[in-house]
Formats: sequence, structure tokens, C-alpha cells
Amino acid sequence: MIPLARLAPLALLTALLLSACVSPAWDDHDYALKAGKTAESAVSAVRFARSVVAHRDRMTGPYAEVVLTEAVRDLSSVNDQFGGVQPPSDSSDRVRDEVLRLTERAESEVADLLIQWRRDGVKDPEAAVRELDGLASELSDFAEKHR
Amino acid sequence: MNEHARVLHARLHLLDRQVVRESDDRLLCKVDDLEVRPGDRPYVTAILSGPLALGPRLGGLPGWLMTETDRLFRGEARPGPYRIDMSLVTDVGSAVRVAGHPQDLALERWLTRNVVGRIPGAAGTPEQDAPESTAQDVPENTAGDASEKTLRVREREEDRPDTMRLGGLLGRTVRGPSGEVAGDTADVRLVQDGPLLAEVRQAFRLAGLLIARRRAGRLFGYERGPGLWRPSLLGALVRRMHGEIRYAEWDQIESLDDDEVRLGVAWDRLRSTADL
Amino acid sequence: MKRLLAVTLGILTAFGGFVDIGDLVANAVVGSRFGMSLAWVVIVGIVGICVFAEMSGRIAAVSQRPVFDLVRERMGPRAGLVNLGASFFINVLTLAAEIGGSALALELVTGINYLLWVPPVALVAWLVMWRVKFETMERVFGLAGLALVVFIVALWQLGPDWGELTTQLVRPPQDEGVPTYLYYAIALLGGAMTPYEVFFFSSGGVEEKWTRKDLVTARANVFVGFPLGGVLSLAIAACAATVFMPVEAEPGSLGQMVLPVAEGLGKVGLGVVILGVFAATFGATLETALSSGYSLSQYFGWQWGKYVVPGRAARFHVTVLASVIVATALILTTIDPIKVTEYSLVFSAAALPLTYLPVLMIANDPDYMGAKVNGRFSNVLGSFYMVLLLVVALAAIPLMIATKAGQ
Repeated sequence: MIPLARLAPLALLTALLLSACVSPAWDDHDYALKAGKTAESAVSAVRFARSVVAHRDRMTGPYAEVVLTEAVRDLSSVNDQFGGVQPPSDSSDRVRDEVLRLTERAESEVADLLIQWRRDGVKDPEAAVRELDGLASELSDFAEKHR
Repeated sequence: MNEHARVLHARLHLLDRQVVRESDDRLLCKVDDLEVRPGDRPYVTAILSGPLALGPRLGGLPGWLMTETDRLFRGEARPGPYRIDMSLVTDVGSAVRVAGHPQDLALERWLTRNVVGRIPGAAGTPEQDAPESTAQDVPENTAGDASEKTLRVREREEDRPDTMRLGGLLGRTVRGPSGEVAGDTADVRLVQDGPLLAEVRQAFRLAGLLIARRRAGRLFGYERGPGLWRPSLLGALVRRMHGEIRYAEWDQIESLDDDEVRLGVAWDRLRSTADL
Repeated sequence: MKRLLAVTLGILTAFGGFVDIGDLVANAVVGSRFGMSLAWVVIVGIVGICVFAEMSGRIAAVSQRPVFDLVRERMGPRAGLVNLGASFFINVLTLAAEIGGSALALELVTGINYLLWVPPVALVAWLVMWRVKFETMERVFGLAGLALVVFIVALWQLGPDWGELTTQLVRPPQDEGVPTYLYYAIALLGGAMTPYEVFFFSSGGVEEKWTRKDLVTARANVFVGFPLGGVLSLAIAACAATVFMPVEAEPGSLGQMVLPVAEGLGKVGLGVVILGVFAATFGATLETALSSGYSLSQYFGWQWGKYVVPGRAARFHVTVLASVIVATALILTTIDPIKVTEYSLVFSAAALPLTYLPVLMIANDPDYMGAKVNGRFSNVLGSFYMVLLLVVALAAIPLMIATKAGQ
């Protein structure tokens, strides 16, 4: 246990490096798995945005804004990270298009809501909730297929 | 030998314990090492503390860094470790209590004066820590002003003449009379029947060495009587790691040279610790 | 009567002070991914912290020696230094996470970016440690931390399917791998048994000048206050399991973690929970910063503690100040405080045996404890936990790498 403790800083560094970057995809299967993970992360962010819009009366302004901002940030980093992975073959291109279409739509939708919220509240909350629900279930189906 | 003399195991009961100043319960330092006057009846003369005492015990790179950094900032030509005479020790328990007014270590005084004391609200009165001029507790090392940094690498540190450090006895290889490896020194047994210190207390005499058959570091106190082997799982494990533990009286030891201990008698004739 | 009041106050303080950013993050994340299937780990962790905190509190009351004194004394200078290095590293990491947590709580109230709140939070925390009396400090933030009880109220308001939550207790979700499950089990255990808790608890005992007479108070704090804190942890997990798990949302920020309370109780609940989170993380900021001072001072034998004026414990206060500065700098690099928390939990788990082994040894040493040595029950439990913690320590880092930190 003593050498283990000595290795701790090194292990931390390794772990940070491992988690900080997305490793390259080795083959189609690996790429599809990454696409599935990406969709999963996007589902999470969309759900939080949806909760805020659906329960907007129960929250304070700054709080809702923080949570929405986080959702936009999460979605955009998800897009950036996955977009940076080289698809290993032509068949992977299709997977890439499919997932990026969904996540990019989610990003622009949530970013839109954030802008409305900062201005004078979400204009049509019911429609937004429906839209986000639809997106989340599409993303969730995609993640289910690629795990 | 006085039958009622107090018996301590140096590593278990004395080394690495907290030193507390009796007069105001101030935490002074740790017992980083013990100064021993060698001879036929060697005895402990002082508690040593500070980086110059801890560094050599740590060994390796951390120990080297610690001693060299300390020397770099010291003003004297031959810095020695912080020293508290054994005659000041009034009690050895969960902490070691010392009488008189031993001063704080240099780093504390420097930080009090130059960092913490300058922050509003510190409300410290460093004057309280001024040393009283008693003959035995003015170690040379605290005499210089630590804020006067002279950036010169010092000569090798030297202890007081005719003294050795108890920490150096621990972890030594023990050889039998014919040169075969018998084990490893695990602890030093001290008996309080040495010469009188300051005419009130008797010194702790080095009575003998506890030798473990296998090199496995510390005994954690599990060398003591069977009543103290709890929790039993841990006790059994530690005792197993060390193999048999025996006790060599001081006069059964022939020499202490070359970082080794040579016994005058065979391993089988040493006492087992169960008799202690 | 006065004694009863003191005991009650102590219990409430322990209750409110139990949850910190680590428990909050670990329980919310685990609840959203594994439902209640890891609740048993929280219980194992609570029993463990009770066993060892009781021992260290008893040692502090009987011999006035705090935990890191014991580490140095029993493990020796070398192993002690390794332990010090590991504990100090984890402590500063946790401190950074707690400062980040307080700043995030302020962001949720004001909408102002948390990075702007980090320097003022650190400054105020340092001022509190510099000037405020130990007891006052502990009481104020411990009691304010009780606001987190809203998690229990919110859970009740959300009206979860209790039957579903109960079945989750024994049935982990099928779509998570075993290594990930174990990884989060270790993180939860690390959250419940963080080493700084015993450093702080035992040093606090010395700060408050406990004697044998205070053993009752110490035990009441441990055996009532900590389990109540554990109930709070479980409520946080249950809220996450109710709100997040069905929709596959995984909270990754403090704002998302308190969402169930907003949904259940509205604006008032939201206000109270953010107050609770702030009090808990700010209180833990103080605890971890002081603990880094405690551990370093106690290893080297320096005068430590808030029971003397700062000018009389210079090295201690310099250490505290330095760790606050380093932790603040770490958070200001814009590293995610929640991620820092997740790592520090796993490293804590890896360092647990180093801290608890000497406590168990000394609690059995009659030289220290006289008649107050461990009974059979404490020893059986203590030995069991030593074996468990050793396994956990060996598995923690490999699991972290294998699961890419639980992804």
C-alpha cells in the first residue's frame, strides 16, 4: 500500500490525461460505441434543459440560467469532441451524420431557449418541452442501438 | 540493578513522541532522535529534534533534502540539531514533558517574527518564548538569528564530541559470533538506572537490543507480552512478519562497528522476549 | 440540562457537518446511475467512520493525542512521511473542491460566474480560520448545514415509487458493467470515510479540551450525528434515483444535483438547499484547510491549533494559509470542481488504511488508553474494516484506470 500511495500523483496525471481527451476510434465498432456515448451525454443535457423549462415557475431566475448555460456548454463540448474523431471508414460516416444531426439540433435548440430566457422568458414553453422530449427520445433510441 | 527501574523500548515509547513544555503545555517538537553517550554503560543524554535529527533517520532523498535545506539557512559553522537535555524530562507518557523553558525551534521563531506576526490580529507575544539562561538548554543551533541567511553550504554536520545517535542503532544487521546473519535490530531496550542527571533523575541506560529474525520494519508494540497482541488478527500478522524476536543484553554484544552489530553469543543463547 | 444541550448541539453539528461536496457529488451521481443499489456501501461507510471516529475521539479524550500524532508515533518517520504526503495531497485536492463548491453555490444564487466567487470565498474562509473561535466556527456552519434536510422533505414531496426504490436496493441496473459499479462503490466509501474527517474530529477534540468526562459527548456525536448524516446522503441518492434515473440524466454539476429539490419544493426549497450546500461546503473548506495544518504540524511536532492565538502557532497558520492559496490557484485554473471531487474521493479510498491502521493499534495500547482500550466488538469490526480497506486501497487506482474514472 505504500508504493501505491507514492504512485498516486502519477496515477492522477494519467487518469486526468485519459479522461481529458477522446481517444481515436480504432474501427467501425469502436466508432459506433463512441457515437452511442455521445448521444447518451447529449440526452442528459437535453433532459436538464427540459426540466428547467417544464418547472420554470419553481425556480429562481439566476439558477435556471446557470443550469441552461451548463446544458448548452455540455452539448457544445459533446459536439466538438465527437466531431473531432476521425471516422475510420465510409460506413462510419453515416453514423457520424446521424448523431451529429441530432446533437447539433439539440445544441441550437437549447442555445435558443437560453437566449429567450435571458431576454424575457421562454416564449412557448409547451412547444419547447415537446421539442426537447422528442429530441431526447430520438437520442436515447440512437444510444440504445449503439451500445 | 534496581528492580523497580522503569523500562522503555526506545522506538516504541520514546522516539517520534510529542515533546510538551511543562510550564505552559506548549507543543515544542518531536523526539526525532536520542543522543547517547557510549561506553560500557551507554545512556541517553538528550532529545534531538529538528531537520538535522529527523533527516538522517529518514534517509534517502527526503532526508538529504531536509538536512541540506536546513544547513543552507543556518548561521553557524557547525550546526547541530535542536537539543533538549534529558535532565529536563519530567514524564514519558503519551507525550514527553519537559521542564524549564526550552525555546521554540528556529523556523517557528522566524515565521512568528516575519510572517504571522505581521498579519493583523496575530496577537502573539514572541517575547514569552525568550530562553531563560539555564546552562543546559541553550543549544548552539538556536543561538544564531535565523533570519540572517548566509547562503553557504555547510560542512558536514557534527554532533557533540563523544556522542552517538540512537536512531543509528535501529535496522542494523545483526551477526552471530561466527559471522552468520542472525537478524535485524528492531528496538533498543532502555532501563532507567543510569547515572544521575542533574542530581534528581536517573538516566535511561541502553540495556540491550531487541532483534527480529526477519527484516520487516517496525514491531508496532506487538513484541510486548501476549496480553497486548490485540486485535489478534493484526498482532498475529505483525509477529509472523518478523519471525522470532529475541533480546540481547548489552554485554552480549561484542561490537557495533560498520553499521552492523556483532553478537558475542549464539542466537540460541539469547533470551526470548517472552521472558521480559 | 446544560449537558444535554451540549450533547444535542454536538449531535446536530455532526449531522449538519457530515455531508460535504464529496458526499453530495458521489451520492447524486450514483443515485442517477445505479438507483439505490449502492445504498449498502453508504451504510458500510457510515459504520466504518463511526468505528474509527469513536476510537480516535476516545484516544483524543484520554491521551490528548490527535490522529496524526499516532500515525507518526506508530508508523515511524518514513511510513509516516509517505502517509503525510498522500493525506496532504488529498486534503489540498478536497479543499480545492470545497472552495469550488461554495463558489458554485454562490453562482446559483447570483448568476455570477463561480470563478469570480473563488477568491472572496477563500479570503473569507481564511479570515474565519484566523480569527473565529473553534467552537463558534464549527457550530455555525454545522448547524447551517442542517438546511440540507430539505433533501428529505423534497424526496417525500416528489412522491417516489417507494416499492421501486426498495427493489433497487438489491438489484443493480443491468446496463452498467461490474467494474463501473465497483468503482462507484469505492468512490462512495471514500466519500463517507474521508481521512480528513478523523484528523479533524480528533484534533477538534483536543481543541475543545476533551477529557474522559467528554467521552459521552464524543460518542453521541459519532453514534447519532454521523448516522443521521448518512440518512441525508441516502436521501440525496434517492432524490437522484427518483428524478434522474428514469430519464437517463446524469448530473455533472452542482446546479443539476439540486434540481430535484427545486422540482419538489419550488423556490423556497431551492433557496434552502443552496444555503445548505453553501454551509456544508464552506464548513468543509474550513475543516480541510485546518486538517492540512493539523496533519503537517502533528507529523513534525509543531505547535498547532486554534486554542492558542495565531501568533503562537506560526508554522501551523502558515501551512493553512499556504494550502488555501494553492487550492484557490488550482480551482482558478478553471478545472471542474466536480471532477476534482470525483478524483479526490478515489484517492482518499486508496489512502484509508494508512490512516486507520495506527488508530486501531493505539486504541488497543494500554500505555495510552489505560482501562479505555478497545473492547472485543470494536476490535472485530476494526479488523474487518482493515481487511476491507486494504482490498479497497489496492483496487481503487486500477479500477479508476480500467473504467476511465467511471465513464
